[in-house]
Amino acid sequence: MTATARVKDGLLDFLQTAFRLFPWPTEPGLRKIGRPDASSPVLLTGNFDLTVRRLVKALEGRDAWLLVAPSGGINVWCASSGGHLSTHQVVTALKTSGIADQVSHRQVILPQLAATGVLALDVFRRSRWQVRFGPVDLRDLPEYLETREKTDAMRRVTFPLRDRLQMALMWAAPTALVIGALALWLAPGWTLPCIALVAAMSASVFTLYDRLGVRRREILLTTSIALALAATWSADGGAAALTAAVVAPAFLSALLTLDYAGSTPLEGGSHFEERSWHIALDEAACEGVFRCFEVCPEACFERDDAGRKAILAHDERCIRCGACVVQCPKDALFLESDAGERIPPDTIRRFKLNLLGKRKIVAPGAPGANRAAGR
Amino acid sequence: MRWLETSPERYDAGMRLITFGRVAHLHAGVAEAAVAKPGDRVLEIGCGTGAVTLRLLARGARVTAIDQSPDMIEQAKSRAGTADVAFLEQTAAEIDALPEASFDAIVLSLCLSDMSASERAWVLGGCPRILAPGGRLVAADEVRAPAGWRRVLQRLWRLPQAALGWLLTGALSHPLADLGGELQRAGFALRREQRWLHGSLALFVAEPSA
Repeated sequence: MTATARVKDGLLDFLQTAFRLFPWPTEPGLRKIGRPDASSPVLLTGNFDLTVRRLVKALEGRDAWLLVAPSGGINVWCASSGGHLSTHQVVTALKTSGIADQVSHRQVILPQLAATGVLALDVFRRSRWQVRFGPVDLRDLPEYLETREKTDAMRRVTFPLRDRLQMALMWAAPTALVIGALALWLAPGWTLPCIALVAAMSASVFTLYDRLGVRRREILLTTSIALALAATWSADGGAAALTAAVVAPAFLSALLTLDYAGSTPLEGGSHFEERSWHIALDEAACEGVFRCFEVCPEACFERDDAGRKAILAHDERCIRCGACVVQCPKDALFLESDAGERIPPDTIRRFKLNLLGKRKIVAPGAPGANRAAGR
Repeated sequence: MRWLETSPERYDAGMRLITFGRVAHLHAGVAEAAVAKPGDRVLEIGCGTGAVTLRLLARGARVTAIDQSPDMIEQAKSRAGTADVAFLEQTAAEIDALPEASFDAIVLSLCLSDMSASERAWVLGGCPRILAPGGRLVAADEVRAPAGWRRVLQRLWRLPQAALGWLLTGALSHPLADLGGELQRAGFALRREQRWLHGSLALFVAEPSA
């Protein structure tokens, strides 16, 4: 890369990280990495530009086919859960891109986090391509392509400092723009302090929140109110300072209420009602296919001693992403409420995760159907 | 018009708004061109909320309507009631599974512009096989307006629309630069062309070239 290209690349990285709440589409279609031939691996991802550029960089020096499927310019995790990267887009990309004429095999590697939306069995039924869910993080791809073995570390989502800061930036940047613009208009002297406050709050929420224990909401909220009041006091009061004192805790409580808002598969996101639902495993129906094991971002599943059935060994870690439910070929997994109501797998397959509560629509005749319909 | 599709409820109202109501002319034109006589078998690719489907049915066609969005199909289904129509939840890329020479007309209304270039080529290329002898293809979509003041007008009008679409998630659709040419490259001969809204909405009627 030339120096100019590198600067441009870095600038794009920053913009696409800071404003990743908005779509950044790149042209879908088939791309070559290195000099792929008929036996080279086929990788598929969504058309979020940042991911595609990172993927190409991570695979430098290797030969592979990269199939970019139209996901609305949205990252894999959000697009899969929200219905933008589904079986449809994958089937379309596999059939219309011409990849079938380029390779002699029919195996396509998808990011593991696509498993909430892309149904491996359906893709096979409709295109005759076999889906393998690769590692969660594309930085693990070179090793995975070498060994074709997904280690336990590769299947589990972690939230290292670098990712935390990126997510903090994603929430801080648009908020700082809005609040900064308001301050610039109403009280120019407060512009920089307001932006600094938003940045500090985002950074502290994303680096500390899940490490503070059970009283975390109260601790952070009290701190922020104290901070805002201190700022008001040090500026001798005034309307602008008072506004900042109100806006800052409001922003912070919004951030906390959102619970990372699904920024990472670490927390459950903003699906409050779903807190009372949990994943349940019907042991009689389980035939030990272990798709759940392959797709769970929190590694909740283990194999039993005989290796014949899955065990939901760590359900306290479950974030209810639904990947295991939708991928299980035996329909052995489903969502169950504390009251014993069930959401069958097909309803979850249909409505994905975040279609504004539509997932709660229970199939007619299913237990709890009347209650759900009355919502 | 992908962002409108995130909610079927706002799709129809949104389409009317951004086309100044011309979308109704386009829908009527499509149905009229597609159905030559009652009983014609029509395949509608990308039926959406069923605006064209209903018009096809009203003209007596037997319709097979496909769409990849279950929400859209649900909407279209409830509007069509008990009429003679089969709805399939599938992608346009799967029309290769449909039987040969099984339709008198294929309709693609406002869906080609949501596809990538390779997808369009593949879908259009697969159409002649499933058309019965004498069958026709009716493609209507947002296209690039003719050069000059009309294209400037289109660009200006699209700017806020594109910004809104970008903000409200979903990719942007682009007006097709050469719909007629793409139809010809897919093996069709153009029979008729009609335009609305200063040339930015176009309807093509085409038949497989012999």
